[in-house]
Amino acid sequence: MDSSEMNEGEIHQIDSDDVIKEEDETENEEGEDLTEDAEALKAELAKIVVHPPSYEQSLMEEFDQAEFSPSYKDNLPKENLVLQYAENFRRQMVQLYRDRKPLFLNPVNECGVEKFVCTTIRPTLLEFKELYNWDGAAEFVADYLNIEPLKPEYELPKRLISPSTVLKRQKGNCFEYSTLLCSLLIGAGYDAYVISGYATKETCLADESRDICPLLKKKEEVQEEARKKEMKKYNVKPPRDLRSKFELKQESKKEAEKQAEKEKQRKEEEERIAELEKPPPDPYFGLRIHAWVLVLSGKREVPENFFIEPFTGLSHPMDSSNYLGIESVWNNVNYWVNMQDCSEGVKGLSFDLGDSTVWEFMFPNNDKPLLKIPDAEDDLNDMDDDEDDEEHEVEKYLDMPPSWVDALKLSHRDFQMRCPHGKKTKVYKRAKLEKFAHYLMKDGLISRLSVYEDRELTDLMKVHEYYAHRSDKLTQKLTNHRTGQVCENFDPGRPRCLKEHQFKSSTPGPENERVMIFYHEARVDGLVKREETQTEMTEEYSNRDDFLFYKYVEFGKRAKKFGPQETSSANKGRPINKMIQKFHRNRNKPANEDIAEIIFHVAEDKIHISYHTEDVRIAASTREFLKPPNWDEKGAVLTFNPEMHQTFQVDPMLPMNKQVELYEMLMELLKAEEKCRNEVRDSQNEVRNILDDRTKEEAASELDISVYDTERNEKAKKHRRELERQQLEEKMRKQEMDIDYLAPFLAKIGNPEKLSKQQAFSLKEECLADLKQRLIDKANLIQARFEKESQELEKKQAWYQQNQVSMGKEDEEEYLTYCKEAIFRIHILDLRLTRHKEQAPHKYMQLEQKLRNDERLSEFF
Amino acid sequence: MSRLYDTVEPAVIDEEMLKKAVEEQGPKEEAGKIAKQEGIDFGDVLSLRLDFLNILKIDNLWEFTKLTKLQLDNNIIEKIEGLESLVNLVWLDLSFNNIEVIDNLDSLTKLEDLTLYSNRISTIENMDSLLNLHVLSLGRNQLTDLENLRYLRRFKNLKTLNLSDNPFCKQDEYKQYVIAFLSNLEFLDYRLVDQQSRDAAIEKYQVSRDEMLHNEKQAEIKKEDETKRQQELEKHKNAYVELMNGPDLFEQMYAEDKEGQKLNEMPEKFMQICTQIFDFGIAEHEKREEEVKSFWECVEEAKQDNKRLGMVHIDEFTETKKRMLLEMSQMSDHKMVEQYARDYNDKIQVLWDKLMGLELQLVDQLEEVIKEFERNMQDMVGTFVENVQALLSQCRDLENNHHEKMMEIAIVTLEKVIKNELDDEISDDLKMLLVDKDTIINAVSSSHDVHLLKIDNKEDDIVTRINQSLKNLIEQIHQDEEITRNRMRVSEINNLIDHLREEMDNLEVMQN
Repeated sequence: MDSSEMNEGEIHQIDSDDVIKEEDETENEEGEDLTEDAEALKAELAKIVVHPPSYEQSLMEEFDQAEFSPSYKDNLPKENLVLQYAENFRRQMVQLYRDRKPLFLNPVNECGVEKFVCTTIRPTLLEFKELYNWDGAAEFVADYLNIEPLKPEYELPKRLISPSTVLKRQKGNCFEYSTLLCSLLIGAGYDAYVISGYATKETCLADESRDICPLLKKKEEVQEEARKKEMKKYNVKPPRDLRSKFELKQESKKEAEKQAEKEKQRKEEEERIAELEKPPPDPYFGLRIHAWVLVLSGKREVPENFFIEPFTGLSHPMDSSNYLGIESVWNNVNYWVNMQDCSEGVKGLSFDLGDSTVWEFMFPNNDKPLLKIPDAEDDLNDMDDDEDDEEHEVEKYLDMPPSWVDALKLSHRDFQMRCPHGKKTKVYKRAKLEKFAHYLMKDGLISRLSVYEDRELTDLMKVHEYYAHRSDKLTQKLTNHRTGQVCENFDPGRPRCLKEHQFKSSTPGPENERVMIFYHEARVDGLVKREETQTEMTEEYSNRDDFLFYKYVEFGKRAKKFGPQETSSANKGRPINKMIQKFHRNRNKPANEDIAEIIFHVAEDKIHISYHTEDVRIAASTREFLKPPNWDEKGAVLTFNPEMHQTFQVDPMLPMNKQVELYEMLMELLKAEEKCRNEVRDSQNEVRNILDDRTKEEAASELDISVYDTERNEKAKKHRRELERQQLEEKMRKQEMDIDYLAPFLAKIGNPEKLSKQQAFSLKEECLADLKQRLIDKANLIQARFEKESQELEKKQAWYQQNQVSMGKEDEEEYLTYCKEAIFRIHILDLRLTRHKEQAPHKYMQLEQKLRNDERLSEFF
Repeated sequence: MSRLYDTVEPAVIDEEMLKKAVEEQGPKEEAGKIAKQEGIDFGDVLSLRLDFLNILKIDNLWEFTKLTKLQLDNNIIEKIEGLESLVNLVWLDLSFNNIEVIDNLDSLTKLEDLTLYSNRISTIENMDSLLNLHVLSLGRNQLTDLENLRYLRRFKNLKTLNLSDNPFCKQDEYKQYVIAFLSNLEFLDYRLVDQQSRDAAIEKYQVSRDEMLHNEKQAEIKKEDETKRQQELEKHKNAYVELMNGPDLFEQMYAEDKEGQKLNEMPEKFMQICTQIFDFGIAEHEKREEEVKSFWECVEEAKQDNKRLGMVHIDEFTETKKRMLLEMSQMSDHKMVEQYARDYNDKIQVLWDKLMGLELQLVDQLEEVIKEFERNMQDMVGTFVENVQALLSQCRDLENNHHEKMMEIAIVTLEKVIKNELDDEISDDLKMLLVDKDTIINAVSSSHDVHLLKIDNKEDDIVTRINQSLKNLIEQIHQDEEITRNRMRVSEINNLIDHLREEMDNLEVMQN
C-alpha cells in the first residue's frame, strides 16, 4: 500500500459491505410431522450434546471501575477517530490479504473500553537508576511481574490492561509485559517496539528448563594471545635439534589420530545428549502467539538491533530460533505490519521500518526515513506550489493522541521488593534459581542457585547462595553436596580480614582440611592464604618487609597420654616436625648472604639454609647446622664446635666465615626457630578464633542497615522521631513563654468578659505606668549599686592611704586586686545604666504599640 | 678541656690498647670465648669505644675499615686526624677534648651523628662533605659569631643541634636567629622547637631570610644549569660531534690566524654544514646506542635462559640426591649401598656433562652474536666516518672558494692601493699587508693553510676517537662476555661437582 492511498479521504470510501462477515448459519426449522424413525433419530441425536468451548474471557477478572481516572473509561474524540482509522486499516488489510491472521489493534482495556494499542504505551522514566539501562529494566519487569499465559495460546487476547494497572497487580500476559517494558525503555530513550508474533512453546510459557542458567554460563575466557616474542636482532640461535625428523612426524601423526578419535567420541556423545534433551513435538508449533520487545540500534548508543524476551529479561539476537514469526510491530507513535515471509522464523527479516515494501505502516507521519523516489514533476513545480502542497499535506496527517494511561508509579519499597511478595523461583536446565528481596530473609539471603545432576531436579549437586547486608560480611556461599566442600566469600571489613574460606562441611573444626584466603593488603602480616590439612599447614604472604613469602609446617601426631586426659592438651597444639620458610631476594644484601630458604628439621635437631643464587651463577650456597644438644634448656650456655656446621660455598674464593660469626648465626637461627614456632601457634589460634567467630555469626546472622536507609534503620527512625518530638516541645514552650502582659491588670478588675472604654483606658494607663515604674526602679537599683561600689572603693582608698606604711606586701597586693575588681564592677554598672537609659524609652514605646494592637483593647483606640 | 697536660701522662693509641678495648667490647660469654680463641680482626669491628684514656693523638685506626661507631670522648685530643680510612663511620663522639679546629672530616661522608661538645672550637667549618648529618653537638665551645651558623644551612637533614654554652648564647637574639635560619631544626639545645616560636623567629628575620633563600635558589638554579650543560656536552662528545652545532669550528679556524680575522666574517653556509654534521652525528650516535642496547638485552636474555636451564638441572639433581640419600640411610646391605654410591657418582657425572654442555652451547651462541654485533658496529662507524668526511670536504671546498676570492680581492685591492685609487679608509694593520704582492699573497695563503689544517685536525680527531672507542667496546665485550664469564662458570660447575663428590665420600666414610 502506498502512502498516497492512506490519506484520510480514502478511509470513508471503503464500504462496510466489502468486509467479510462471519457467516451466521441459521438453522432450518423442520416441520412438526415426524416419522417414528425420525423421532428415534431425533432422540438419538439429542443425546449428543455439544458444548461450545468455554473461553477464559468470560471469566475475565473484574476491576473496580471507581479507582480509574476518566481517561480509562471513555475515549476522547481523537481517540475515537484513531480507532475508526485503525478499523479502516484492519478492513483494508483483511480485504487485501485474506489469509492473514487478524492484527492486534484495539483490544479493550480493564474498563471494557476499546483502546488503540499504541496509546497504551506510556513512555515513563522512573527514578531508579537500575531502570535506566535496558538490561536492568528488562530484568526488573521479568522479576516484578508474574506470568499469565494466554488462553487459548493460539488466539490474540481480547483485553490489554494498561501498564499502570499491571504494575499494581504484578501479573500480566506477554502483551502486557511487553507494553510495560516498552514504556520504560522508550522513557529511557531507547528506540523500542512491541512485537506481536509467534514463538516456541518454551518461550511462550517462559519455560527455561531447557536453557542453561545465565549465572552458570561460563564467561567467555578471554584468551590472551601468547605475546609473540619480539624478534630482536641479536637473539641467539637455539641449539640445533638433533632428533629424527621422521620419528617426530610419525609421533605427531599418531597424536593427531588419537585427537580425532576423541573428538569424534565427544561429538557422538554430545549428539546423543542433544537428542535426549529435545523437547517433545508441539502440536501448536508456529501458532502460539507471543509478544516481545524489539530494540533498534541508533539511540542510546545501541550498536545493533536485538530482541528482549519480557518473561526472562534476556536479550536475544535477531536470528533467534525462539521466535517463529512477526505479525506487527508498534510503539507509541505508529503501527507497522510485517509484509515479509516468516516461513523461516525471524531469520533475515529486515527491520528498516521506513521501507514500505516490507513494513506496512498505519500512520503516514512516519518518522522513519522514507525511500525517496525523485519525482520529475517536483522539479517543474514552482516554489509557491511546493509550499502549498506541503501545508496541505501536513494538515491531512492524523497523529497519535497522547496515551490514556496514567503516569506509571512505583514506590521505592515495591521496587526493592522486586518480585511479587519478594520471592521468585525460576527453573533452568538442571538448575533452580530462587530470588529474594533484600532484607526479606532473616539471614540476608538474596538469591539461591541450586544445581542438579539430573533434569528432574532431584539429585542436588551444589548450591550457590548470595547474601547481602550481613553484618559478618558474608556475600557468597557455595556448597558442593557431592564433595561436602563449602566455600564462603566475604566482603572486606571483617576482623582478621578473611576473604574466602573453603572447608569440608563434615569437618568444620580446626586442624582439618581448609583453605583461608585473606585481604592481605589490610593485614599487618601480609598473609594471603593459609592452607591446612590434618598434618600440614602452608601459608603464603606478600609484600613483607622481611621478604618472607612462604611458610610450611608439618605436624606430628599428638603424643598419646596415658592416665586422665587433660583438658588443656587439646589447646596445646600438635608437635611440629618440620618448618620451612622461603624468602624473596633482598637486593640490598649480597646473594650469598641472602637466605632463600630455611628448613628447621625440628625432629632431627637440624637447620638447613639455602641462599639465593647470584645473578651470574647457577648454583646456590647452602649451610647446615646441628643444634647444640642443650638448645632448649633455658639459660644454658650453648657450646659450639666446628663439626656442628657444614657449608657449601659457590664461590670458592670467598673467605670462610669466622667461628664467632657462625656461632652468632646459629644463635639467630635458634631465635628465628622459636619465633617461627610461636607464629605457627598464633596461626593455629587465629584459625580457632575465626572458626569460633563464624559459629557465633552463623547463629546470630544479623543484618546491617545503612544509616541512609531511613525506612529500615530503626535507630535512625527513633532518632528522627525524638527530634521531631523535641521540636514540638520547644514550640509548646515558646507558646507558653508568650505571657499575657495584661493578665494581672485584668485580674485586678475581675477578668470581665468585655471591657468598657473606661476600663480599657485605665487598663492601658495602668499597664504603661507599671512598666514605667519598673524601668525607673531598675535604673534606681543600678544607680544605688553604683554608688555603693564607689563609696566602698573610696573608703578602701582612704584606708590604704593611712596604713600604707605599715602594710605588708601581701596586703598591698590584696588591695590592688580589690581596686582593680572594684573599678571593673563600677565600670560595668556604669555601662549598664547608660544602656538602660537608652533602651527604656524604646521598651516603653514597644509596650504602648503592643497595647494599641492588642485585640482586647484595639477596638477602643 | 680543662684537664692539664702535666697532671696525667698523655697516652697513645697502640696495638695493646686497641686489643684490650676490642676484646672488652666484643662478643660476650660463649661467643667471646670462641672469638678469643680465634682472634678478632680489627677490620670486622663495628663499634669502638676509647674514652677516658688520655689519648693525645688519634692514630693507628686505619685497620678499622668497617667501623660505624667511634667514641673518643674525654681524652686530650687536640686535632682531628687519622680518621680518613674510617669511611663507614656513622657515629663519631669527640666530646670533652681539646680540639680547636674542625678539620679532616672530608672522607666521612656517611656520618650522621657528630659530637664535638666541650672543645675549643671557634668557627664552624670544613664539613662540606658531611651531607648526611642528623645530629650535631657543638655545645661548650668558643663560638662567637652568629653569622657563622649560616654554614649549617647546607645540612638538609640536620634535625638536632646543640649550641648551648657558647659565647654567642648570651646574645638576646641567639635563639631566634638560629631558629629562623635553620628552620628545619626539630631540637635545639635539648628542647623541642615548636611551630609557634619558629613562626615568630621567621617573622622577625623575614627580610634577610628571604634574601638568603633567594640567593640560595639562584645558586641552585645556576648549578643545575651548569650540570645540564655539562651533560649535554658529554652527550655530544659521546657522539663525537661536540661543539659542532655552533660557529666553534669556524672560530677555531681563525683563532690562530690573526690576519684572517681582519678580512672575514662568518659565512652562513659553513655554519649550515657544521650543523648538518652535528645533527647527523647525534642521530648516528642514538642509532649506535640503540644497537648496543639491543645487543646487551639479547645477551642478557640468552644468559638468563641458560641460567634457568642450569638451575633446573641442579634442582632435579638435588631432588634425586635427597631421595637416594634417604633410601641409602634405610639400607643395610653393604653391597646395595655401594651400588647406590656408584649410581650416585654416575649421576654427578651426568650433571657435570649437562651443565658443561649448556655452558659450551652458550659460548657458541654468544660468540656468533658478538661477531655479528662487531660487524654491524663496524659498518655503522664506517658510514658515520664517511659521511662526516664528505661533509668536511664540503667545508674544505668552501674554504678553497673563499681563498680564491680572497686572493682576487687582495690583488685588486693591492693594485688600487698602488694606484692610490682606494677611497675607503683602511686600517693600519691592513696597510701593512698591502705593501707588495708577495706579502699579501703570503698572508692570504698562510691563512688558508691554517684553515685547512684546522678542518683536517677536526676530521682526524673524530675518526680516531670513534675508532678507538669501538675497539675498546669490542675488546671489553670479548674479555667480559667470552673469557671472564666462561671461566667463572666453569670453575663454579667444577666447584659444585667437587662438593657433591666430597659429600658422598664423607658419607661413605661415615658409614664405614
